Amino acid sequence: MDPKLVEVTQLFSRFKAAFARNDFDTCVGLLSQLKVLLTKFPSLPPSFQQTPNAVEELKIARDIYEHAVILSIKIEDQDAFERDFCQLKPYYMDMCGIIPASPEEYPILGLNLLRLLVQNRIAEFHTELELLPITALLNPCIKHAVELEQSFMEGAYNRVLCARQAVPHATYLYFMDLLAKTVRDELAGCSEKGYDYMSIAEAKQVLMFSSDPELHQYITEHPEWEIKDGSVFFQKAKEIQPCKDIPSLQVINQTLSYARELERIV
Amino acid sequence: MTDVQMSESEPQAAPPAAPAPSALHHLKEIASVIEAGSLSKEVRRISRAVRLTVALRRRLAARDVSAFLAFALPSSSEAYTRLTSLVPKEDETEMDVDTAAPATQISIKHGLPEIEIYCYLLVLIFLVDQKKYDDAKACANASIARLKNLNRRTVDVLASRLYFYYSYVHELTNSLAEIRGNLLALHRMATLHRDELGQETLLNLLLRNYLHYNLYDQAEKLRSKAPRFEAHSNQQFCRYLFYLGKIRTIQLEYTDAKESLLQAARKAPIAARGFRIQCNKWAIIVRLLLGEIPERTVFMQKGMKEALTPYFELTNAVRIGDLELFRAVADKFVSTFSADRTRNLIVRLRHNVIRTGLRNISISYSRISLADIAKKLRLDSENPVADAESIVAKAIRDGAIDATIDHANGWMVSKETGDVYSTNEPQIAFNSRIAFCLNMHNEAVKAMRFPPNSHKEKESAEKRRERLQQEEELAKHMAEEDDDDF
Repeated sequence: MDPKLVEVTQLFSRFKAAFARNDFDTCVGLLSQLKVLLTKFPSLPPSFQQTPNAVEELKIARDIYEHAVILSIKIEDQDAFERDFCQLKPYYMDMCGIIPASPEEYPILGLNLLRLLVQNRIAEFHTELELLPITALLNPCIKHAVELEQSFMEGAYNRVLCARQAVPHATYLYFMDLLAKTVRDELAGCSEKGYDYMSIAEAKQVLMFSSDPELHQYITEHPEWEIKDGSVFFQKAKEIQPCKDIPSLQVINQTLSYARELERIV
Repeated sequence: MTDVQMSESEPQAAPPAAPAPSALHHLKEIASVIEAGSLSKEVRRISRAVRLTVALRRRLAARDVSAFLAFALPSSSEAYTRLTSLVPKEDETEMDVDTAAPATQISIKHGLPEIEIYCYLLVLIFLVDQKKYDDAKACANASIARLKNLNRRTVDVLASRLYFYYSYVHELTNSLAEIRGNLLALHRMATLHRDELGQETLLNLLLRNYLHYNLYDQAEKLRSKAPRFEAHSNQQFCRYLFYLGKIRTIQLEYTDAKESLLQAARKAPIAARGFRIQCNKWAIIVRLLLGEIPERTVFMQKGMKEALTPYFELTNAVRIGDLELFRAVADKFVSTFSADRTRNLIVRLRHNVIRTGLRNISISYSRISLADIAKKLRLDSENPVADAESIVAKAIRDGAIDATIDHANGWMVSKETGDVYSTNEPQIAFNSRIAFCLNMHNEAVKAMRFPPNSHKEKESAEKRRERLQQEEELAKHMAEEDDDDF
């Protein structure tokens, strides 16, 4: 067996051991060593050389990057997630014929979709979605992310929150918690436009706070809300009326441009 | 007036009793056009040769092609051996008759690269028409290898056609991914040679290649970084707009996408029906996603009614705002939508259906309970009232409806709809229409072409006839070519 491959395998088993005992600092250190070693394999992307060990090397490399992605979630580092996912993606997209599909493929792709949703990168979310075959959409992990996006766009926020109980994979919880924060801000934004006032108890329920102090803390972050007679009034936010002035400068500009264009035609 | 003159002068030009010239004779004439173009360095003549070839396409037979190869290429050359091996042999003795027919013997100089490349193109087109895709692939690969060693502006026109068929053959044999690297290398070469026609063609082929595999990210990165210039060919420009529209749709830039797709549909020649249908399908979805309802005339366009039926029913569902009907339509035509690769877009539309339904409710009722809204919208979930409440709240915030929610009583109170003429709305609508018309006029002025030096010298009758003939050929060619390609 190739000595380089042996070295990587040994190091990787140490990584996995550390990973299993949740020793993340050791993991991060080992991972960077592994990544350096992986650069010496000629069969990996982007060179794709057909070496005798290609299948073994690709498999172990994919395994390492899959672990790297999961690790980045455990240490709650979104940038690392994005980096590792980008390195992992070619193994899923361009390698179907060489190595068998990984069982982790859809959970990780689903995670990535969720991350894009949390970061509000909806355009990229849809670009990634287009890459998936129709059969993939039936996979619970992918379906979960797709349904979340739909509920989010519709405004059915409680469905988004309910989805937290139905996560297909434990690693999803980190992003679901982040999503809950985004949803609360969205709800607050919608509430101040949609309601005139709301009782404290209702507001607590709508904005999903478990205690009054938390709610009060949140309300003080919004200076245009006020508490009166045990209710939250959103009136102040609405007082800014759209101005009824005629946009004279704009109209003059438009008219002048019509005149100029007409002159060119005649 | 011009038309009458044309039809009168045409029969006189051709000698009355002569039999129709054979395809081989035509090919020889084309070869001499190319030769003239090559020697005088006139790209225009070469493009004329390509047009003439396309017109001849349906009449080509294997023996014409082999005879032409023998005529045009030196029998010792590598190209000759390779190309003749690809053209199927037919044992027919009619050949002698044909070669005897042309009265004027045309002879051309051997060894011109233009002629050689033209031979490749001719064989490739012939093989594609004969559906011999593996042979065509071999021919295309050989021609591309040869092209890489050439740097002549007069070859560019021929090369851009070769690129097109090269990619077309690979698409037909489902091996587009293999040639991506090659196409990128060719695009780089064309850029370095300042071959704009080649760049334009190759960029479109690359975009098509990426989109074939749904690689929207890569397509957009290439598109935004590739050099842009004034379009040379209308067909290529239409394709570019279509691909651009698709990319923008996926990336949720609906307003820009709509503009590109509608422009592509408008600019495409009438004959390119398939292409126009595709453009219209995408444009309809984009407009629905924007919250617009396309007019009925869009679906009633000549020759498109049948193809657009699924989209018509879809539009209807969105217009009414009925989720149940929407779901039924989406299920009914699921195969069509999958084939058009619009399925994911239709999933996005669900949200618009809810919005429209909600708007209808808000207009009809001054006060309605949230439970009734959930029932009317047919929201099926564990907690429809809570869903309805947050959906209404979001719609209010996004400005889709003007209302407030009374949480304690659980109802939605719509505000009086104000007089639209007291707002700036009409002014904005007026401005966008005027801007559209003025833009259209400017585009039309820009698109007008004038013959070179027309203001300096009066053209002679002879020249004029030649020009008119060329224009007619061009028009015919465009119609036919688009018919084939799209």
